[in-house]
Amino acid sequence: MFTKYSSYHFFFIIVLLIAALCNLIIGSVHIPANEVLAILSNNFSGKASWEYIIMEYRLPKLVIACLVGMSLSVAGMMMQTLFQNPMAEPYVLGVSSGASLGVALCILGKSLFAPWLQVYFSGSIAVVVFALGGSILTMFVILGISQRIKQIATLLIVGLMFSSFTAAFVNVLAYFSTAEELKKFTFWNLGSLGNISWQQIGFITPLLLITLAGSFLLNKPLNALLMGEGYAKSMGIHIQKVKFLIILVTCMLVAVCTAFVGPIAFLGLAVPHITRMVYKTTNHFQLFIGNIILGALILVLCDIICQLPGEQFILPVNAVTSILGAPLVIYLILRNRA
Amino acid sequence: MTISCQKKIVKSVGNAANNIEFANGLEIYNYEGFTVMKITKPWPDAAKTYTYVCGKNTHKIPDSLQQHPFIKVPVENLVATSTTHVSSLIALNEAEKLIGFPNLDYVSSEKVRQMISEGKIMELSDKESLNFEKTIDLEPQIIIGLSMDSETSKFNQFEKAGIPVVYNADWVETSPLGKAEWIKFFGVLLDQQQNANSYFKTIVTEYEQAKLLVKQKTQKPTVLSGAIFQDVWYVPQGDSWMAQFINDAGGNYLWSNSKGTGSLSLSFETVFEKAMNADVWIGPGEFYTFEQMIAANKHYGNFKSFKNKKIYSYSIKKGPTGGLIFYEDASNRPDLVLKDLISIFHPEVLPDYQPAFIEVLK
Repeated sequence: MFTKYSSYHFFFIIVLLIAALCNLIIGSVHIPANEVLAILSNNFSGKASWEYIIMEYRLPKLVIACLVGMSLSVAGMMMQTLFQNPMAEPYVLGVSSGASLGVALCILGKSLFAPWLQVYFSGSIAVVVFALGGSILTMFVILGISQRIKQIATLLIVGLMFSSFTAAFVNVLAYFSTAEELKKFTFWNLGSLGNISWQQIGFITPLLLITLAGSFLLNKPLNALLMGEGYAKSMGIHIQKVKFLIILVTCMLVAVCTAFVGPIAFLGLAVPHITRMVYKTTNHFQLFIGNIILGALILVLCDIICQLPGEQFILPVNAVTSILGAPLVIYLILRNRA
Repeated sequence: MTISCQKKIVKSVGNAANNIEFANGLEIYNYEGFTVMKITKPWPDAAKTYTYVCGKNTHKIPDSLQQHPFIKVPVENLVATSTTHVSSLIALNEAEKLIGFPNLDYVSSEKVRQMISEGKIMELSDKESLNFEKTIDLEPQIIIGLSMDSETSKFNQFEKAGIPVVYNADWVETSPLGKAEWIKFFGVLLDQQQNANSYFKTIVTEYEQAKLLVKQKTQKPTVLSGAIFQDVWYVPQGDSWMAQFINDAGGNYLWSNSKGTGSLSLSFETVFEKAMNADVWIGPGEFYTFEQMIAANKHYGNFKSFKNKKIYSYSIKKGPTGGLIFYEDASNRPDLVLKDLISIFHPEVLPDYQPAFIEVLK
């Protein structure tokens, strides 16, 4: 049994490596594969623009696609188990709405503040700080509420209400904004894996890896929760504490991902289902590794599709994940019913 | 009982010559006693032409033209909707005719700012359009309208209330002299055609003379324009207003071969590969300092023009209330825009020239 899952992991890791290489080769500018390999192995002496594009644009994009793919998929897996609901996904708690509100305040609400303050609202760092601020604030609210409620499903409703509230607030800000500001905000909402610097990756990577390590430790309680709260209690699991930790870990993963790349639709919903379909297990230890590999692989593949239109433009990543994710989810629902 | 009737002199509209040389969307036909002005492209891809009959009175207007709105000229007062209209009024010394404008802060001209401080011009802004009640209450003789597309309901409501809307489409023109020729539109409405014609003729002469200064230049600096929005870079297409200026000023615009008068949306990689070593960068979007650019996107720092501090913006020069001078005056003064660019691309040709609109980033 253990060997079976290991061979799956190994196979998908190989596929991920191939996809990663394709991701570096395929882009708006045609760079031959051998030149890409030469650049990666520090053996290149051609166009400086090509070296820059590979090392400073495509490679960071690939790394962030892997990190975000892993994080959102694991977060989705935890949400689906916690809420015992196959339609649950990382954004149900409303954390991404909090990030969206923060960014709306930064981009659309800038003119509401005194001119001397407005200087802190510009630049890509400002957007990240506001997004993180919004999502962390939301996280505290959700954590606080989670400690006061008996039924976990109530949290879903709280998350929904929070999303509605932030959407209304954003609409008010949008009403008073210029066309330029609205465009910037819309683009942020479409998600973007490009334009992440190595410094930002240096900040994001330890945060996400530590949080993922924390979520690994939750696999045993998650396995127990699958059998119901009564069974979990009988196994010595402290339910309230575990729920708190699951929500905390999910919020952290979503907050960091959303702050840097914007909301990425459907990934956290679809990938856990795909992993369960492929691995045919409910053991969270195997699903955790499966989600990590498949989450990274699927987002890398989506990014390749984004680059396919060619030199004219690239597709926004949310368009691709939604176009693929929505039919997949419908298929899964129908398949389960059958 | 006697019945008297006035005999109308009927003339065919085909007899007069169009007074317009460069603008594509404007036609002016002068007849005895009246002028017919046609706006053939009120917005991009318009299928509709707006025809206005302008005159001191209706005595000589033939029956065939009765269907078109009549505008009594000179217009006594008006509401404008773009700072380019304000610039034209100033050029013809008719700024006092302006009684209302949306977003007064956008206006920079000294004379009009003085009028605003004296309370002579009413703020009519209602976010994206004119406030209906305030505009009706002001009772302007006409509204100079501006519409992005055929959705003109916000202006139709004024026409229903009896205020004619005359559409100005200077912004649709894509050639530098074509845009400037719209001063003649105001010449017709203010009964100042002669002044408008001679003003425009001077602009044409200045422009052509400036163009000649660099026509023989073989060494042309390579030029980039535009800025990135997330992952999309917008650069002007080859037939656009800015691209024509760059080429006329002796610059080698890197996308001058692209067809079209709008912008291209390109990926960062495509722009970087082509323009990493461009000598000059004109118009980097909203930025006015190098620090702002690098804070928005670190990739900007790897362009040669960034490293050599050869990035120029027309968004730096602002009026006292933050309005952009370039947006207000540039379409009327293409000769100055051209000279600004020549002074950047070939400074030896205009050694003591002080740019009117363009500034290097701080």
